[in-house]
Amino acid sequence: MEYISDKDYNYIMNKHHDQSKPFNSLSRFVRNDELFDENTGLDPNFILENIMINDEKYKEFSHGIRKAKALEYVLSNTRISCDSRDVFPAINLIDRPLNKTIVRSWHREVFLDIIPEVENERLRLINDGIAQIYIDYDHSVPNFERLFNLGFVGLLEESEKIRNSKERNSEEDAFFESIKISYEAVLLFIKRLYNLASETEGSQKMAKALKTLLNGAPKTFYEAMLLVYLYFMISEYVDSLQVRSLSNFDKFFYKFYLNDLKNGITEDEIRKDLAKFFLQFTAIDNYWNQPVFLGGEYEGGKTIINELSYLFLDVYDKMNIYNPKIQIKLCYSTPKEFTLKALDMIRRGHSSIVFVCEPTIKEALMKRGYTEEQARDCNVKGCFEFSVQESFGCGGTSLNLLKPLEYTLHKGHDAVNNAFSGIESPDLSKYKTFEDFYNEYKRQLKGVIDLSINLVNKYEAYLSYINPQSLLAGTFKTSLDLVKDPMQGGSTGNGSGLSFGAIADLVDSLSMIKKYVYDKKELSLTELVNMLDNNFVGNENWLLKLKNDRDKFGNNKDLPDNFAIDIIEYLDKVVRPNLNEKSRGGRWGYSFHVARAVYALANNTATSPNGRLIGEELSKNFSASMGQNREGATAAILSTTKMDAVKVCGDVPLDLGLLPSAIKGEDGLEAMYGLLITFLKRKGHAIHFNVFDAETLRDAQKNPEKYQDLQIRVSGWNVLWNNINKVEQDGFIKQAESLI
Amino acid sequence: MKAKVFEIKKFAVHDGDGIRTTIFFKGCPLKCVWCHNPEGLSSKTQLAYYSHKCINCFECVKICPNNAHIINNGIHEYVAKNCINCGKCEEICLGNAIKIYGKDYTVDELLKIVLEDKVFYDNSGGGVTLSGGECLLYANFIKDLFIKLKNHGINTAVDTCGFIGKDQIDKIIDYTDVFLYDFKAYTSKTHKNCTGQSNDIIIKNLEYLDKKGKNIEIRIPYVPNYNDFEIEDMIKYLNGIKNITKIRILPYHNFSTAKYQSLNYENTMPSVVPTNEEIENIKNTLRKISIHKIVD
Repeated sequence: MEYISDKDYNYIMNKHHDQSKPFNSLSRFVRNDELFDENTGLDPNFILENIMINDEKYKEFSHGIRKAKALEYVLSNTRISCDSRDVFPAINLIDRPLNKTIVRSWHREVFLDIIPEVENERLRLINDGIAQIYIDYDHSVPNFERLFNLGFVGLLEESEKIRNSKERNSEEDAFFESIKISYEAVLLFIKRLYNLASETEGSQKMAKALKTLLNGAPKTFYEAMLLVYLYFMISEYVDSLQVRSLSNFDKFFYKFYLNDLKNGITEDEIRKDLAKFFLQFTAIDNYWNQPVFLGGEYEGGKTIINELSYLFLDVYDKMNIYNPKIQIKLCYSTPKEFTLKALDMIRRGHSSIVFVCEPTIKEALMKRGYTEEQARDCNVKGCFEFSVQESFGCGGTSLNLLKPLEYTLHKGHDAVNNAFSGIESPDLSKYKTFEDFYNEYKRQLKGVIDLSINLVNKYEAYLSYINPQSLLAGTFKTSLDLVKDPMQGGSTGNGSGLSFGAIADLVDSLSMIKKYVYDKKELSLTELVNMLDNNFVGNENWLLKLKNDRDKFGNNKDLPDNFAIDIIEYLDKVVRPNLNEKSRGGRWGYSFHVARAVYALANNTATSPNGRLIGEELSKNFSASMGQNREGATAAILSTTKMDAVKVCGDVPLDLGLLPSAIKGEDGLEAMYGLLITFLKRKGHAIHFNVFDAETLRDAQKNPEKYQDLQIRVSGWNVLWNNINKVEQDGFIKQAESLI
Repeated sequence: MKAKVFEIKKFAVHDGDGIRTTIFFKGCPLKCVWCHNPEGLSSKTQLAYYSHKCINCFECVKICPNNAHIINNGIHEYVAKNCINCGKCEEICLGNAIKIYGKDYTVDELLKIVLEDKVFYDNSGGGVTLSGGECLLYANFIKDLFIKLKNHGINTAVDTCGFIGKDQIDKIIDYTDVFLYDFKAYTSKTHKNCTGQSNDIIIKNLEYLDKKGKNIEIRIPYVPNYNDFEIEDMIKYLNGIKNITKIRILPYHNFSTAKYQSLNYENTMPSVVPTNEEIENIKNTLRKISIHKIVD
């Protein structure tokens, strides 16, 4: 691999988990125990067993202090390793030990003993395919600016200074004490690492950097990366909270980069260290990929993109990796040259790069009352979510927009298990007009929304009881000033969110009902429901007719697109007024990105009127349903950007499929840029290009119905994939294989 | 005034600068042996039947007013001689096996369609390209369309084989920003062998456009055994044409077999397809002798 020798590469790739053993990235972490000298700490299984025993000593203290003590116990005793083949230490992290012990015990206490009715309802919603609801510990980002400026030492000192600035009651004092215990534990841990690195041949560079971090803030590019790495590993793998971005990298690391060059550190060394930093996340291999973002603007409109941004992409490109994943905050000031470089990488297969539009996000956040500075400095995290600095909460609640449709068509019953899960709805004969039907759908939708919000509000009151956040609190100035856990009102952004899945399936279904039942009157609602209940068996011609119909979202067609606009209007009315103030001091919002939940929800979703069969994949993000973007890339962008992403103030992401041959050459790259800039100017939120490869084409050959929109460029002209015969498709697949 | 169009392609990327909409007009005065758009040859409306996509739903049989679709031994059969090209079967076909090539559009109807993507032309330096068949067979229509496009500030291009009267070119020349000009052979003999016509008029028109100072993008199909042996002579000749902005080499592919079958045409497409390596080599060779930019 470029920048990293085979020897070093093999070490790092096996450092977090043994690559020769089966690894399921969903299970997060399978450690490589063999890597660690037993003299450096205790047996990991012993540590795991003793966390709860150790906790017995602190029963009279707050959960914050008890969790901090558990963190201290793990960091004091876990095995560590330094190696000349790497510049980042190895930590025997025991697969989220607090999650498996005290956090789990408090979680069970809350959901089984304190609010069991909430848990029962939560499980019912999941099992019935209505919603996927989980506590979202996955979308917070520490205040990196403060972390870089102060280091662990400075953050601890500041917390203590605020603690001692006035008299504290016992609850407040416990809050600060938990931060003190956590940060002292981190420093003690760094001391252990320093001692080991000092004694390890070939690890002197690491030792020197650890010493700097032991005493304060980082000074070099490498030290800043080491700080991020340590914070990430401790928070994510010990303290039970994901670090959902590695920061606005080119903004925060630029000063370190310049300083290094001034002090004689070569760019080559910086590149090599950066490559090893990237490779940590490649090796960890979390299924959700580790986000990091580039770009944005400074006050006054100057772009953040700098030499480091280019270097970052260049190293990433040459390593040919996909984890970490990269978001680019796109602005009008973003240099075209940089954007073209990123687009060129995307079309060569780097689908791990996505664009989020800062002007849209900025306007949206300012409309929600944040200052221009707060809006501009917002984090991009997760896939393409965004929030102001020092925020907690994103949305662990994914709702299925097709379920209320089932209730509307079945008198409030679920069409898969026949349970009465919705609100009582009338007999189909009562829907005399489409408006009657549509209004009833909205009533059912509101029922599901109210149910979910009510449920989540109840358990979110217990977030800091279950998993208090001392480490994160230390980086949040807001949390320190308010003396509140970041999850319980101690953040600048305290919103809770609903994410809605299957928007395109919904509006396509509404379009088909309006068109064929009410406008053309080609079939009755009862006949349609019978077809749906029988999965179109015996009515295959109707299935094809509904699938083939062009009035589908993502094609710049008024009928479905106007339904989507109207659904947003409705959600704005029924979701936005809800508060979570009792638990977290914020407001409810909504978005249209349900990530992996889209697959889980699909399993229990009945056949829908747009021709999607039971169990089949739901439409993703704010994109056309599978195979339905038949009017191409420009129509897809026009449809999605008809939505008011500023009003949504949440995710309105577009997945856009393109074929390598359609965007080849200089013309192709310029065309991609044209698509992207149009998306930006039309106030889109986020766009993800999918450049299809041979594997996709092979699937297209097997399942042509899913790929009715797929076009291929045949040397100077485009043809529809389905319009060429198998021999020709084989030829194209072969050609596509050579593109790699 | 109406024109017969067989395809409207949005997000056309390689038909001139930027993101474009390309409109394909019916009818062509040439008959290239390698033609990839056989549906553009005839100036009449045609029904194409893609038999490999037929699912035997028989919806077309039910709706056809003239017995062009029948059931024969339980399988659908298309009887071309009975077809009146009414298009009813295309609308109802559940397997997307039927395609009507050649629909009549007014200038305003086409204008409405292309304006939908104006924002993309504006943001990419793109516009509208007219192709075919041979679009200049509709020069009067194109003039009206281009005048309206110019009123909207939209860049215009025609993709022409050049085998057309100079008077037709004169009708549209002032409203056309770019000519995508096909150059298929150097000698008249080879040209006639490949396309059925001599290239005398084509060369005269090319020199005329050059004299008029028009932007010209040359497109050369590279077809082994048909025109490959003249390609260096073509490039040398083109060195004498001043206003060429770029030359695009189009490697021949035989991906249009299904179209020939669907139209019940004899498939004239050559069997030898150039390899990627061959194309790269030839482009590198040509770059050494061309004064113009040769692009992919």
